[in-house]
Amino acid sequence: MEMSEIEKYVAPLAVQEAVRILAAGAVTIVAGGTDLTPQINEGRRVYAPTLMNIRRIDQLSRISVDGDNIRIGSLATVAEIRDNELIKDHAAILCQTASHFASEQIRNAATVGGNICNASPAGDMIIPLLVLRAEVELARWQDGAMTVRRVALDQFFTGPGKTVRRDDELLTAVVFKRPSADFIGQFRKSGPRPALEISTVSVGIGGDIKAGRFSNVRVAFGAVGPTPLCGKQTEAALEAKILDHDVIQAAVHAAQQDASPIDDIRATEWYRNHLIGVFTEELLNNVCQN
Amino acid sequence: MAEQVAFHHIEKTSLIGKRIKKPDAPAKATGKTRYINDMVLPGMLYGKILHAGRPHAEIISIDTSATEKLAGVHLVITAKDIPDLKLGFVKDNAPLKDKVRCERDEVAAVAAETEAIAAAAIKLIRVEYKDLPGVFSAEDGLKDGAPVIQERFPDNKSLRFTFKHGDLEKAETGSDIILDDSFNVHYVTHCCMGTSCAIADFDHNGRLTIYSQTQYPYNYKMDLAPALGIDPGDIRVIQPPTGGSFGAKLDIYPFEPVAAILAQKTGRPVKIIFDRQEEFINSPTRQPARIHLRSGCTKDGVLTFRAADVLMDNGAYTSWGPTVPVIMMRTVSGHYRVPVVDFVGQAVYSNNAYAGSFRGYGNVQMTYATAQHMDMLAEKLAEEYNLDPIDFRLKNAQKSGEVTPQKSFLRECALAECLTTAAQATDYVAKLNKYSTEREQPGRYKHGIGLASSIHNAGGAKIHKSDGCGTILKMDDYARVTVITGATEIGQGIDAVIGQIVAEELGVPPEHVTLVNDDSDLGPWDVGVHASRTTFIAGNGARRAAIKAKEQILAAASKRANVAANALDLRGGYVVQDKDGAVVTKLDKMLRQMHFQPEPDVVMVSDYYEPNSEPEGRDHISDHSAAYAHAVHIAEVVVDTLTGEVKLEKITMAQDVGRVINRMGLEAQMEGGVAFGIGFALSEEMLFEQGHLKNPSFRDYKVPTAPDMPEIEMHFIESDCAEGPYGAKGIAELPTIVIAPAIANAVYNATGIRFFNPPMTPEKVARAIWEKKQR
Ligand SMILES: Cc1cc2nc3c(=O)[nH]c(=O)nc-3n(C[C@H](O)[C@H](O)[C@H](O)COP(=O)(O)OP(=O)(O)OC[C@H]3O[C@@H](n4cnc5c(N)ncnc54)[C@H](O)[C@@H]3O)c2cc1C
Repeated sequence: MEMSEIEKYVAPLAVQEAVRILAAGAVTIVAGGTDLTPQINEGRRVYAPTLMNIRRIDQLSRISVDGDNIRIGSLATVAEIRDNELIKDHAAILCQTASHFASEQIRNAATVGGNICNASPAGDMIIPLLVLRAEVELARWQDGAMTVRRVALDQFFTGPGKTVRRDDELLTAVVFKRPSADFIGQFRKSGPRPALEISTVSVGIGGDIKAGRFSNVRVAFGAVGPTPLCGKQTEAALEAKILDHDVIQAAVHAAQQDASPIDDIRATEWYRNHLIGVFTEELLNNVCQN
Repeated sequence: MAEQVAFHHIEKTSLIGKRIKKPDAPAKATGKTRYINDMVLPGMLYGKILHAGRPHAEIISIDTSATEKLAGVHLVITAKDIPDLKLGFVKDNAPLKDKVRCERDEVAAVAAETEAIAAAAIKLIRVEYKDLPGVFSAEDGLKDGAPVIQERFPDNKSLRFTFKHGDLEKAETGSDIILDDSFNVHYVTHCCMGTSCAIADFDHNGRLTIYSQTQYPYNYKMDLAPALGIDPGDIRVIQPPTGGSFGAKLDIYPFEPVAAILAQKTGRPVKIIFDRQEEFINSPTRQPARIHLRSGCTKDGVLTFRAADVLMDNGAYTSWGPTVPVIMMRTVSGHYRVPVVDFVGQAVYSNNAYAGSFRGYGNVQMTYATAQHMDMLAEKLAEEYNLDPIDFRLKNAQKSGEVTPQKSFLRECALAECLTTAAQATDYVAKLNKYSTEREQPGRYKHGIGLASSIHNAGGAKIHKSDGCGTILKMDDYARVTVITGATEIGQGIDAVIGQIVAEELGVPPEHVTLVNDDSDLGPWDVGVHASRTTFIAGNGARRAAIKAKEQILAAASKRANVAANALDLRGGYVVQDKDGAVVTKLDKMLRQMHFQPEPDVVMVSDYYEPNSEPEGRDHISDHSAAYAHAVHIAEVVVDTLTGEVKLEKITMAQDVGRVINRMGLEAQMEGGVAFGIGFALSEEMLFEQGHLKNPSFRDYKVPTAPDMPEIEMHFIESDCAEGPYGAKGIAELPTIVIAPAIANAVYNATGIRFFNPPMTPEKVARAIWEKKQR
């Protein structure tokens, strides 16, 4: 265990207050702490002098409809997302993912914002959000006022643990357009056990199904590259197609092209590639059946 | 004595076989229990060990000057400060090292005011190493010119065990089927929820009190003393509640003498506690083994021989791990009726982690091989000679009264009953045939069923000169009972069982029995919690002590009531007439009357129970346990042939338990034991690369979680063991031993692929299925 470097602990109640603290520099943000704490304990990370707990900012926990958009506050926990009626009705793929996430204890603490900012290639909530073409909102204190910018999630990640978020920015929400009534999304992850598993591979597929044709297709993969990925070739293989055997096989092939997995202690490259194929096929079969 | 209370009658009832709650369960479930890990003594310092983090190296120099200057650091020690202190089974280990032989090697230690200072202090120690070429497998250790790990063992050969019986050549010639396979059993570790911890405290007379998680407090003194250079009599062992042991604490490991040395030199209590990563790297493992097994049988399905050549990676030092052949050979010679046996077990030093004892003790490894071979023979006999797979096993199953080639005397043997019970409960043969036909048909999900059995000692194992246990029992004026037993509680439930047994004999509620078993200055000797022995040995001891107390009370009551002692009984807190339960007097009143009389008669008895087993002996031909038991497990699985995931649908087990004592404790031991076996079979593996553990965390070392546990149907066969308490046998290791090969056999049934190298991870299974398809 590292000796604690924390000099100050703050727990703001409002976003404005939080971004002003961030502007002062040298802050570690803690939300659920389920990534941060183990990383600190393992010595992979050290605390900055100021530790800022953002969990008291009520505003950040809300899940709401905002015009055509659905907005999930960064502090919404995985359990809250799983159980939210609005999400169930419009973006069930998020509930499906949330119910395969960790264990109940972790789901109660883990936040969606933490999952995104931790930027693990295996971050589960990121995959369905990519499928939903979500954007993230980043707030900061600039020239005496709070400014907010939006970044598309597929532009957000730059490497394992790395994002375009500036150190002085707070992720306040993820926002995506309410999917059409024809939308169907599916998620699948794998690991050697049913609970408490970091994905060895995850796949998300979504799109509108109309008269048997699949359109506006979005495909995302987790744990097969340095960041969560969108499967451009797979999307192209599926776009505006009827999902017959040949199309599905072509998509499986494209998926294995899109992914660039590596060997690590959790799985070999061979197995990750193999699973990408298996899951892509399985999810497309599910899409057909629904 | 004309008592006025005889207006009611108390029927004879029995607690044996009932569900008795574990007395410490509520405190543990609510977090009230204070484990050793939570303990803080006044003035206590924190010790921390610097581990080498490299597998093989000379230590050129150690510079501790920066550490010594850090505020809050009381002491830094290295091997130079404590020369000539040794530990381990062949005394090849030391508390601190002057040469590095494995990643965990303890190079220096500090004592500091706080845990944080101790952690920072360790980082300031500068060590200059010269790395040496290493040995990372037993095979490599045997090669010509292999680096020497332990100077005393220039050929790297550590312990060796052999047993031969009968004419192997003749048996081979007489065999119609011979199997010859190599099984590679991997590294796993205990994963105790409470990480390793010791608190040492010397008094001014040079006496050490050590707070320890040990499961063998009495021999622990004998092992710890030479590592400290003090007399074993000057050690007092206190055992606060511990978060699991499972064999991991059946030896001493360097952190314990290091804590004691730091305490001795600073004059302050010193605590060493591991974090989870230290626990993974610095705890003993299960002994890995390469088992080359050959088995033969005739076309009538009669086993002809078994030959096992076992090569074990000893790691850098010798703890209990490489002694597991003592039990492995009992399986080779005793798992079914084996007329001819040839066993060799050789351990070879390497720069890997070293193994200790672990629930199942060699039998988990060996049964993984023998039970698969039995299944393979059964399949061949069915295909080629039309023999039913259960009939084949029944034909070779020993019966009561048989003696194995090593002279294990199977007085009460219920293997046949276990086999038929489990097979009938699952419709085993029909499913086996159905699934093996279905596996050739298209379809992603394949069902499989697998059966395995084994034998294990169930009445202790006399590997020391005594396998006994002492008990002291006293009763107070309120008929409350205190039992001071040598038997250690590491979570297994001897507290409930002794309460139950003593309550049964003395006719008091189990809650009125208090157990004292956490202080070696109080408790009488016991060999330790291991070998599934505690209910058998300590249970017998407690029962015998309780019977002595009862005799004393009834003799006194007999005088007063003018009734023969054997016509009296103790029930429900009363002295009663045995024949009709008519109350004679209240028990507490009786005890007070005995006590407060001119010649006081206080109930205070003792007992030392030594089982009727024989010492193991150098030739391994002895009836080394007071009982043996069998279990049969049937696993039903569904294999996802694409992802390779093996889902356990159901486990059906039939185990000879002799007699059920505490049904709740028994069920819990079965569930816990099976969970261990499932982890071993499917997901747990310590991944070593050049002596480095690559996955020292629960994220990457995968113990089963609650959703991994299938339904378990338990059938307890009561063979009524003549020597066991109320007929009971030891039960706790068999569930871990038998389940893994049952799963392997089920996976074979589902896929047609044998897995000789556990664990059967999804990747391994998927890959094997995929490769089979490519052929
Ligand atoms: C046992 C266990 C099981 C797990 N299982 C899974 C799993 O199945 N799938 C999965 O994807 N993950 C899993 N995780 C990882 C983790 O739970 C998730 O990534 C979780 O969503 C992180 O959220 P958090 O609120 O706990 O983040 P924290 O640990 O609080 O923060 C994570 C990182 O994000 C930063 N951060 C947090 N919120 C913000 C914000 N609003 N703005 C800017 N920066 C911020 C923090 O500074 C930190 O760097 C598991 C973790 C554990 C311990």
